[in-house]
Amino acid sequence: MRKFLSSTLLAMSAACLCCASFSVTAALQVFACEPEWASLASEIGGNKVKTFSATHARQDPHYIKARPSLMSKVRKADLIVCSGADLEIGWLPLLLERAGASVQPGMVGNLMAYQYVPLIEIPTSIDRSMGDIHPDGNPHIHLNPRNLILVGKELTNRLASIDTANAGFYESRYGQFVVKMNQAIEGWLSDGKDLKGMRVITKHKSLSYLIDFFGLEEVSSLEPRPGLPPTSSHLAQVLESVSAMKARAIVRAPYESDRGVDWIVSKANIRNLVVPYTVNGDDESGDLFSLFDRTLAILKSAL
Amino acid sequence: MKKLSFLLSLFLLGGSFTANAGATGDIEALRAEIAAMKAAHEERIMMLEAKLEEVIVAKAAVTTQAAASDNEVALTYAPKRPATNARRVKKNMFNPSIGLVFNGVYTQHETAEGEIAGFAVGHEGERGGEGFAIDHTELNFSSTIDDKFFGSMTAAIVKHEGKTEVELEEAFIQTLPGLGLPTGATVKAGRFLATIGYLNEHHEHTDDFTDRPLPYRVFLDGAYNDDGIQASYVLPTDFYAEIGGGMFRGDDYPFGGSDGEGIDAWSAFARVGGDIGEKQSWRLGGSVLSGKSTTGRESNHEKVSFLGETDLYIADARYTWAPTGNSTNQEFALQGEFFWKTEDGLYSDTETSASNVLMDDSSQGWYLQGTYKFARNWRFGARYSELDAANVPTGLIGSHLDGEGYDPKAYSAMFDWTNSEFSRVRFQYNREELAKGQNDDQFMLQYIMSIGAHAAHKY
Repeated sequence: MRKFLSSTLLAMSAACLCCASFSVTAALQVFACEPEWASLASEIGGNKVKTFSATHARQDPHYIKARPSLMSKVRKADLIVCSGADLEIGWLPLLLERAGASVQPGMVGNLMAYQYVPLIEIPTSIDRSMGDIHPDGNPHIHLNPRNLILVGKELTNRLASIDTANAGFYESRYGQFVVKMNQAIEGWLSDGKDLKGMRVITKHKSLSYLIDFFGLEEVSSLEPRPGLPPTSSHLAQVLESVSAMKARAIVRAPYESDRGVDWIVSKANIRNLVVPYTVNGDDESGDLFSLFDRTLAILKSAL
Repeated sequence: MKKLSFLLSLFLLGGSFTANAGATGDIEALRAEIAAMKAAHEERIMMLEAKLEEVIVAKAAVTTQAAASDNEVALTYAPKRPATNARRVKKNMFNPSIGLVFNGVYTQHETAEGEIAGFAVGHEGERGGEGFAIDHTELNFSSTIDDKFFGSMTAAIVKHEGKTEVELEEAFIQTLPGLGLPTGATVKAGRFLATIGYLNEHHEHTDDFTDRPLPYRVFLDGAYNDDGIQASYVLPTDFYAEIGGGMFRGDDYPFGGSDGEGIDAWSAFARVGGDIGEKQSWRLGGSVLSGKSTTGRESNHEKVSFLGETDLYIADARYTWAPTGNSTNQEFALQGEFFWKTEDGLYSDTETSASNVLMDDSSQGWYLQGTYKFARNWRFGARYSELDAANVPTGLIGSHLDGEGYDPKAYSAMFDWTNSEFSRVRFQYNREELAKGQNDDQFMLQYIMSIGAHAAHKY
């Protein structure tokens, strides 16, 4: 009797302790629309956050579907981190209908990264005949690593105010991240100084921030208008201008199709480069730092 | 004995340590154990306090460091901006989103008749007209009303028997998560496309084919959009699971002629869904729509009327596949629904002078369709639909409801070009065998284009 009683008591109190410690250490659920934000959340949140990315490097973040599985993920999120600027307009609004009040637009659990960085390519007039344009500016902001520092700061604020118990933890990790990222940026810029002025042709406007960061020069794009697929007459025009403009490479993201690329590469002296674009864009881009290491190496191969 | 000790430990956990808890030895042993636990807890609390102190010190250090690095970023980072200072055109959140969908079609039929043997068919379920026509032109206004509600109105401008009419397809308000309902719960009220089956809650312009499949035409007259209220709840499970239900006036097909007294129709649904790896996604659902026609539901050009109860059961499934889950350039979608309807009531048909004939029987129908996007702008698809009519009582022999044992079926093939998410041009061929000896080859050329705001499409 005694033994049984005490073991029951112990088991029950152990269960209680487990519950208590579970509620204390239950990881904050971060729903990222793109892998770069999931990665940034892990850099800052460490083991205190559990991240999920709605898309991966081989999916075009413009065009995924509001799949049932995403609905159940977003419903549980404590924090949603997305690029914003209408990049996810085709699916995020549907998911948010079923999410909690604290992650709705304007709330602390809803972080739209574009609001915290200086945007480029802001159209001065908009019209649907211009193709798939973003009225707020180009949303592919993570390819300038400085933007990661800016978004990281806001992400830290959000994590700290949602999970106040670990505020110090997040802030200290952010501090480390900033130091490391600033060092890395210096390294990338000095290693990549020869890239300045290198002429490239892009597939879509998804690499503008990268081009800006390394000082590349984008001389043409395979898409006649953003979001519209290349037409044969437009490709012929691009081909004609390859040699005139001395473009060294056609650069694209893994999710962008190679339609038209092979044709131009076979007819002109130009390199065909696929940069990782985001975390896990290729086998060697496992985090935000290696993403830029790898991107730099690929771009330099065209020199 | 076991039971006793369990009750006892519960009692003890409740916090009252009373003296009548058994032998003295037990009590002492328990006391010792509690003292040990207490000591362990105190130690833990002290450790946590020490940790907290450390974190506070570290936090102060980091804040100053972070502030310094932010300044560095700001100094070294001067991004390119357009040189022009033209006014930025931005969405005005205080105005509702306005969208307009153009829908035009040219149709050619082979046979003069397009009747569906053995079924009561409403106006929307009938075969469309021939020649040039603009189908539903949809006008939509929608916006968040405040922090707690969202509102949306969709009106369709249609031509009906030579007259241009406005049909109110939807006008509803919906709760936003800001209202404070449990996470995952929403309530919709007004007139709306009820959540039953797969296609019903989708606007017709998002369909993969020009016309709705046969079961939607005969069982729901295109779609069920009645006045009422509906609640749904996404369950907190790891995979997607949603349940819900609604109550309705009972004025829309398959009901009709509601006198407004009480609630004449109700619905319930359950859905589950998920991913299989990164390429495949699926959703399965089951729903019920049940109600009565109190003063009579008219169909077949007001020749047939029905008074009584209708129950409709629907099972729906959808599966999609895309390489690496990226549907931009390639996607395959398979979708099917099965309908089972029971009716218990009185049918009248003015053409055969059948009057108030009792009918208590069931009918069914199903369709299966596949679409394949083989290039960024191009898709093709195929669909098969079939119906199985009820057996009619003697009083209804020869009436519209007498299918003479014939099962109506339709084959469709479509091919479409989507220039952007705002424009689509489609060619469709149908072979409809809807009544004995009535084999109809149909050709349709359709455009669907939209201007203004365009809500995201559902899975």
